[in-house]
Amino acid sequence: MDPPIYYSKAEFIETDTGNKVSRRATIAGPQNIILGGKTIISSGAIIRGDLRRTGPGHAVVISLGRYCLVGEGCVMRPPYKTYRGNFNYYPMKIGDHVHIGANSVVEAATIGNHVEIGKNCVIGKFTIIKDCAKIADNTIVPPNTVIPALSLFAGSPGRFIEDLPESTQEMVEAQTKQFYTRFQPLER
Amino acid sequence: MLKRSEDEDGPGRGPHDLRDASTCQDVLSLSISSTAGYPVGGTEMAPSVQYHCACLSSSPAPPPPHLPSSSSSFHPLHTLFFCEECDAVRCNRCVAVEVSTYYCPNCLFEVPSASVRAEKNRCARNCFMCPNCRNTLSVVPSDPPENSDGRLTVPISAVGEPPFFLYCNHCRWDSAEVGITFEKPTGLAAQLQKFEDSAPDSLEFDRLKEHFEPFIPAASAALARDIPGVSKYNPSQGDEMTEYRSRVDIATASRMGTGGGDADVEYMRHLETVSEVASLNQRWTSSWATSFQARDLKPLRIPLHSKRSKRCPACTHILIKPEQKAQSVRYKIKLVAANYLPAITVTLPHAQQAQAEAARRSLGKSTAAAPEDDRGGSGVGMHAGKTYPFHLALTNPLYDPIQVRLSVQRMHVSTATTTSADGSATEKARRPPFAVSLPTSSFPIAAFAEAWEYEDDEDMFGVDDDEVGAGRGGREKDGRGKVKTVGVLEKRANVTVVGGEVVIGKEARGAVKFNMLVSYTYRSDDPAPSEGNDGSPTKSTKPPEIKTFAFYTVVDLGLIIPREDVRLDSES
Ligand SMILES: [Zn+2]
Ligand SMILES: [Zn+2]
Ligand SMILES: [Zn+2]
Ligand SMILES: [Zn+2]
Repeated sequence: MDPPIYYSKAEFIETDTGNKVSRRATIAGPQNIILGGKTIISSGAIIRGDLRRTGPGHAVVISLGRYCLVGEGCVMRPPYKTYRGNFNYYPMKIGDHVHIGANSVVEAATIGNHVEIGKNCVIGKFTIIKDCAKIADNTIVPPNTVIPALSLFAGSPGRFIEDLPESTQEMVEAQTKQFYTRFQPLER
Repeated sequence: MLKRSEDEDGPGRGPHDLRDASTCQDVLSLSISSTAGYPVGGTEMAPSVQYHCACLSSSPAPPPPHLPSSSSSFHPLHTLFFCEECDAVRCNRCVAVEVSTYYCPNCLFEVPSASVRAEKNRCARNCFMCPNCRNTLSVVPSDPPENSDGRLTVPISAVGEPPFFLYCNHCRWDSAEVGITFEKPTGLAAQLQKFEDSAPDSLEFDRLKEHFEPFIPAASAALARDIPGVSKYNPSQGDEMTEYRSRVDIATASRMGTGGGDADVEYMRHLETVSEVASLNQRWTSSWATSFQARDLKPLRIPLHSKRSKRCPACTHILIKPEQKAQSVRYKIKLVAANYLPAITVTLPHAQQAQAEAARRSLGKSTAAAPEDDRGGSGVGMHAGKTYPFHLALTNPLYDPIQVRLSVQRMHVSTATTTSADGSATEKARRPPFAVSLPTSSFPIAAFAEAWEYEDDEDMFGVDDDEVGAGRGGREKDGRGKVKTVGVLEKRANVTVVGGEVVIGKEARGAVKFNMLVSYTYRSDDPAPSEGNDGSPTKSTKPPEIKTFAFYTVVDLGLIIPREDVRLDSES
């Protein structure tokens, strides 16, 4: 078991469902954002729940599942397009056990379960990432890319590199749970 | 890259798009950055344990860790399989693979195997790859809608004016550049395949195939004789091989593309930028002499991907059988080694302490990234001439307790090096002289139980963080009053942590890497194999049998930091 990862207790807000959100993260439009529980939003992250579809009423703009990590300095912004002359934002849906490395920019439409995204990545608009895929550090995924299940993508533009092992789901699940357990407060 | 044009920094972005500017910068500066190793996170420096598959060697013992063949004989546990029939570990090198589903990696459509052949292993729907950068192409009309900021928007639907063409939203290549346009935005693959199939190289290949078809039976019979397991192919009788007459003679073929010979030389002489020449990577999907000019590259239909079943090479039992659905990550059969062998992780307490200290110090500046960033920093390495404890945490995946014994494999490195001043002394110094101590007696690991899944266990680290990893109850003083480091240090749930020690020689260099034999005994409830398939699976009435399984691992603790004077000596 790896050693704990300490965070300053004063910096993070812990919700009833175990989400840990840094006070140094920018959460715009929190009413439009869903966090599944035990999800960590690191400091410096920007989540743009305010960029919602035009029209009345509530709308979920960004939803994250359980045991997710939004790394330091990440930007999560819903994708947008102009369709038949109308500009609109579209919701972003992210599954369980998804880790996003520091300083990545994500504008995907959907990200499945058990997905790992590295540091300094750009995930273009309307990208679809299927279950158990992995995006290496520094990958640039152009808009509209489809990333199949259990595949590793890397490079600029992000390209298929190899198939991931059959046990990827169990591995990622264990890692994300362990990460949450290791993420411990330190009073100071 | 050339085509990523100057208008990247278009004007008129809304305030929320401020971040876009930096994103574009990143895209530019990061283009084609090397991603060797494809890391996610930063843990490559950590000590590791890998598991042996014996398929490459004739003896069950693995090669010594300092040989290059070591790296191809050992694998991470999570990539290995286990055959119950043979009671043996299997790896991706030795399993027999067969395709169970073909699918397009872009539209995710599952392609029946009958069409795979006709469509030449590529997607027959509207999926194309940019010949310049390998990004997926979009179909766009001739009047692409423009954003208010003057940039092309993401082309989404092909409504608009014909002709249509294929456009790359990464490098801005488009098919109109190579004279490929379409009147309708549908059925493009069929149109492209018509080009492909009527290309001279494709026609030549078909002719070759036709020519050799009658000789296949003889060749396949010979192959079946030489390689057991290759099935015979026997449609008709062929006799003497006749002379092949090509469609296009070789002189003409070499002039396809740019013109060949002098014309190519002439072209190269007048190059203005290197990117005018198509790279090898861009060209080698073509089967034959094609133009080497980048401006002649054609869009590619996307090659299909496959899901595969895997079989044991010895007994042909299925080890991996994926669900049919292309994007399902479930398996009908999945016999992975991680469900049979104990998982072993290795840590260096002195390095962990240094990291934890650094993490505490940097708290406030940074949170999640801190421990990773400090890897390889001060206090983490191992110095020549010192002694270090290390911890091995073994996790039992079985529903029964196991009894484990560890031993270090003797390294057959010649010790008869006569110390001389020249090269031989250097040779000797390269072989890391270090001695490893492991617990000599066997120790138990409790059974795995679902309840121990640490779903909600937040007390994992106990109260006293300084005591993390240091034994609870296992610690004893030895005769000289020192804290004992070798032996069982901790038992919790289905994990047992044992301590070992490495004594590093004064002149040591290289990696501390050793082969470790792990043998464990477990209770086997299996019915005797003779009871086989007849009737209901009756449990054996015999008392459960105690079985032993042994496997090799290689433990890599990391590099030795040599003493300065040693390094100077050997390099002069
Ligand atoms: Zn093997
Ligand atoms: Zn397709
Ligand atoms: Zn391109
Ligand atoms: Zn077998």
